[in-house]
Amino acid sequence: MKRLALSRDALRVLAAYGAAVLLFVIGAFVHPGFASFQSVTSILLVASFVGLVAAGQCFVILIGGIDLSVPWVLNAAAILLTTASLGQDGRALYAVSLTLGMGALAGLANGIGVVWLGVPAVVMTLAMNGIIEGLALGLSGGMTCAACASYAPPAIAAAVHGTWLGIPAALWLWLAVIVVVSFVLSLTRFGRATYAIGNNPRAAFLAGVNVSVTVVFLYALSGVFSALAGILLAGFGGQASLGMGTPYLFQSIAAVVIGGVSILGGRGTYLGAAAGAASLTALVSVLLALNMPEYGRSIIYGVVILVLLLLYGREQRE
Amino acid sequence: MPADPTSRPAAHRRRPRAAHILGQNSGLILAAAILLLSIIVFAGMFAVQQGRLPGDFEITSTVNNTMPLALAAIGQTIVVLTRGIDLSVGGVIDLTNALAAIFLAGSILHMIVVSLLIVLAGAAAGLINGLLVGLGRLQPIVVTLATLSIFQGLAIRVLPQPGGAVPAGYTSFLVNTNRPTALVFLALAALGWMGLRRSRLGVNLFAIGNDPQAAIALGVKAVRTRIVAYTIAGALYAVAGIFLAANATAGDATTGDGYTLTSIVAVVLGGVSLFGGRGSAVGAICGAFITTMIVNILFFAHIDPLYQSFYEGLFLVIAVVFGGLIGRLVRSGR
Repeated sequence: MKRLALSRDALRVLAAYGAAVLLFVIGAFVHPGFASFQSVTSILLVASFVGLVAAGQCFVILIGGIDLSVPWVLNAAAILLTTASLGQDGRALYAVSLTLGMGALAGLANGIGVVWLGVPAVVMTLAMNGIIEGLALGLSGGMTCAACASYAPPAIAAAVHGTWLGIPAALWLWLAVIVVVSFVLSLTRFGRATYAIGNNPRAAFLAGVNVSVTVVFLYALSGVFSALAGILLAGFGGQASLGMGTPYLFQSIAAVVIGGVSILGGRGTYLGAAAGAASLTALVSVLLALNMPEYGRSIIYGVVILVLLLLYGREQRE
Repeated sequence: MPADPTSRPAAHRRRPRAAHILGQNSGLILAAAILLLSIIVFAGMFAVQQGRLPGDFEITSTVNNTMPLALAAIGQTIVVLTRGIDLSVGGVIDLTNALAAIFLAGSILHMIVVSLLIVLAGAAAGLINGLLVGLGRLQPIVVTLATLSIFQGLAIRVLPQPGGAVPAGYTSFLVNTNRPTALVFLALAALGWMGLRRSRLGVNLFAIGNDPQAAIALGVKAVRTRIVAYTIAGALYAVAGIFLAANATAGDATTGDGYTLTSIVAVVLGGVSLFGGRGSAVGAICGAFITTMIVNILFFAHIDPLYQSFYEGLFLVIAVVFGGLIGRLVRSGR
């Protein structure tokens, strides 16, 4: 029974990778050059932003939570990076640590609210999204402040766009995150504790897992990943803009779920979620290559998620 | 109360009736108290600044602006009662709002038929959610996330640019701009809820929210109940979409988006438990009005509108934490 369950989870991950490959093949048919090395790396570069957010989302979903504060933590991170660095390389390190610290703080507050104040994760992270949104809008005067027009430091822009062995640096970072997160989740005590909490928090507690601290830490990690994605996105686009974080909430959840992670927690891997991010981005790229209007993309996007879920996201009969 | 989780063997002393009602409805009572408090604060600020109490105009516009949220929150409540959550609210309101702005015209009979068809469209959208959750055995949060995207796409297809028009007569029937007559519709909704609460369907809704396994063991058709719950919710979102169009006298395929989050906020403020099995339409209506009153209060407190969501988020957390504390106190004092 154990082996069967394991192979089913592995199948889900394989299905997510299969979907990504299939989409690239379809793309190559409808749009010559779609599957060229250049095109694939640029699509994966866009996928890496979703993938990084999905890493944090994956952590909290594995313990049966959810992080709805992604959009504005990401957006505030991009704003904070540009306004704190003023586009100067000399201030880049200071701005990056400040931004990651902000993400960690927001995530920490989420965790504390969920664990010690007993607020449901949906409500707590939703409220945090509003709190950060209000602060970001208010403090920047609705992006009218003098520093708001600053660009991301050239060093960060170069780090995102620059290539090493022909592959963009942001992709290398994502690859490193995939390796580290997968290692931490499957081979460390901390990873085991995460799955244990997701399966049964009470049993995990009785088995000696420090449930509260682990959960708070995971929410803080999610905040850090959102902030990291915000930094890279600011470097990628050059500037921060209002609303840039909005698509990443649904995309990160969809990526995690398509990747075979159970929304109830306790099951799934980040390897799968990363594949989910890649296939989602590939899907959008294919639809764009087909000159599909926005409404069509929106509909097909939803239908594809439903089809994938019906294929392998179903629960056991009650 | 059906499916009362507190019923104990006869050997235990029964709690006094008043304490029982208080314990069962602590969420609703708290919501009503917060609403009353927010109205008093608002009236006080208004009186100080304007030299008079809020009159017909203020009350009417508050009621009319809250109508779509109140209806959406009642729909969300029905879904949340079954331990579900519906993120497609915004999409259904977008779609029905767009349909209303395009097709509402002509004779009274025509408008009635169109309105009914729009409500049916909302119910159909809800039915899709219900089938996927019930028969498809998928998690509500991911199903409705996907259908949200689909309904939003359909709405933009129906009404690519903001526009359309709602006849003046239709608007003045639903949201009279001189008197808060729209409250009648909320009273009807509350009456409907009382009927639902006492029907077999209502009992089943609460039963599967409180303990799905026990409910199924007792013969509750959980799948069918869930499907019906999402369908009714979809119909209510459609009514919300119609009210939104009537209030704006035109349509916009994106104005509904915000209702996904605000309906959850209203439900939580209205004392509905996100863990299922506890909640009421009156609570949801209170929650919706609290949400509007907070915006009104922030406006009269001369808070920079840019900070609005900061205070809303903060208030949401504080309200939930205190609500939980008071609920625990009431229950531990039995």
